[in-house]
Amino acid sequence: MHSEGTAQLPPVAPGIFTTGQEGEGSSLLGGACPACDRDFFPRPSRCPLCLGAIDEKNLGSTGKLYTFTVVRVKPSWGLPCPYGVGYVDLDGSGLRVLGLLDPESLDRLEIGLPLRLAVGEMGVDLRGNPCLRPFFQPAEEGAHE
Amino acid sequence: MNEVYLAGVGMTAFGVHAERTLVDLAGEAAGLALADAGLEPGRVDMGFFASATAAPLFKDVTVGQNVFWSVGINQIPIFNLENACTSGSAAFYLACNAIAAGQARAVLVVGGEKMCVPEAGLLNSGATELDTQLGLVTPASFAMRAVRHMAEFGTTAEQMAAVAVKNREHASFNPMAQFRKPTNVAEVLGSPMIADPLTRLQCCPIADGAAAVLLCAKEAVPSLDRCLRVRAWAYGTGDYANPQDMARWGTDYRVCASAYALAGMQPADLDLIECHDAFTIGEILHYEALGLCAPGEGGKLAASGDTALGGRIPVNVSGGLLSRGHPPGATGLAQVWELATQLRNEAGERQVAGAGTGLAHCMGGDKDGDAKSCTAIIITN
Ligand SMILES: [Zn+2]
Repeated sequence: MHSEGTAQLPPVAPGIFTTGQEGEGSSLLGGACPACDRDFFPRPSRCPLCLGAIDEKNLGSTGKLYTFTVVRVKPSWGLPCPYGVGYVDLDGSGLRVLGLLDPESLDRLEIGLPLRLAVGEMGVDLRGNPCLRPFFQPAEEGAHE
Repeated sequence: MNEVYLAGVGMTAFGVHAERTLVDLAGEAAGLALADAGLEPGRVDMGFFASATAAPLFKDVTVGQNVFWSVGINQIPIFNLENACTSGSAAFYLACNAIAAGQARAVLVVGGEKMCVPEAGLLNSGATELDTQLGLVTPASFAMRAVRHMAEFGTTAEQMAAVAVKNREHASFNPMAQFRKPTNVAEVLGSPMIADPLTRLQCCPIADGAAAVLLCAKEAVPSLDRCLRVRAWAYGTGDYANPQDMARWGTDYRVCASAYALAGMQPADLDLIECHDAFTIGEILHYEALGLCAPGEGGKLAASGDTALGGRIPVNVSGGLLSRGHPPGATGLAQVWELATQLRNEAGERQVAGAGTGLAHCMGGDKDGDAKSCTAIIITN
């Protein structure tokens, strides 16, 4: 999932993450309303609370696993079978966001597990073309890559 | 505000109806509801048709007009409604509003699906939603609630399985249920894993089928003999707060409290409940939101027998979605069908003794870790 050249693939959806150099330092991109002091993921086109303009906000790359599951039926979007998803409490913003989990780490999932964002080729987009998806992996692994 | 009466109900068998069309199934349910009430089709003055899958699976739109004309109803206002798993109950809500407001006197609500086709995958909350593209399917959403409930409250896999065992036991007494063979905890937990920790027998199957109800203002009720009163109809959407507490479902609590307040009732006033047991953990969460037990105690309640037929507050005596199958447009109306059958004392072997007050509860959709819709309806005899 970290093969050379994946950076040319499109993201599953625009503007939801940023990849650093050579795939390092990926982080989630969301939005923040300066008037309401609230963060959002994904970034809404306007603040649902005050209808004002939303700034882009880097939501960082780390968090803790709030809850999770492993889906074992035939997946959509060409996702791995099985695949993991969870809600992750992001460090900093405190937002609880849905995320895919590293298919290589499904046997290590537990509530509270420190996680780090990665981005790699995973499945296909709405048009059926291969694409990049953000996913979370155990934090200490991400640090060594 | 006019009082709302439930004058008639109708329902097809739920299962695979490969040779029948949606209009055919829904027309059967509509005809049964009219016959049950003893009302001429020409007296119906407003109609609702609920379906969640007709458009995405068959590109069928405005199906309701076809359904209503198939039972001789034309010219009147007819509305087609999609609201995920609460499609049927949300249509029921609108019908009650129309009668209460004096805008209609006899409203036929029909809901149905034909979804046992190869194109049907797991339900999700819309292909273009980011959550869906990141792998969120409905079983995963409930599985993640289960993981959290187990961690916070010590709820066990066996307690969740007890919901499936109980509801299948109930279904064994219900000729209208799709799956009627009793099961046990070991079989439930040994069935294939869908999304950890939910196994196949803890997830409701899909079904083809339709249900219909006729709601009337008092002066339009053909016969008050078997007529029931709708005491409350509550409907709320999610709050989408972040973070969501996935072990204490705020939207569920809020809508249930609203229904009790509208009816001027307490949980102890209910004799039976049909609730949205699309997944076993769902029924446990709904026990807590409905006030049948303290927050976190739902797993223990499931295993206690108190929610079984003959217990303190029987839940899903029809067998629930887990046994009936879940055609979303029909489900909320099938729950009302069961309440009507019970409140008329016509439920045979699964009759709740002395049933006078029942509640039907439905939930649907998924957004930002919250539900997109929740309904609760209270009916008395
Ligand atoms: Zn704002």
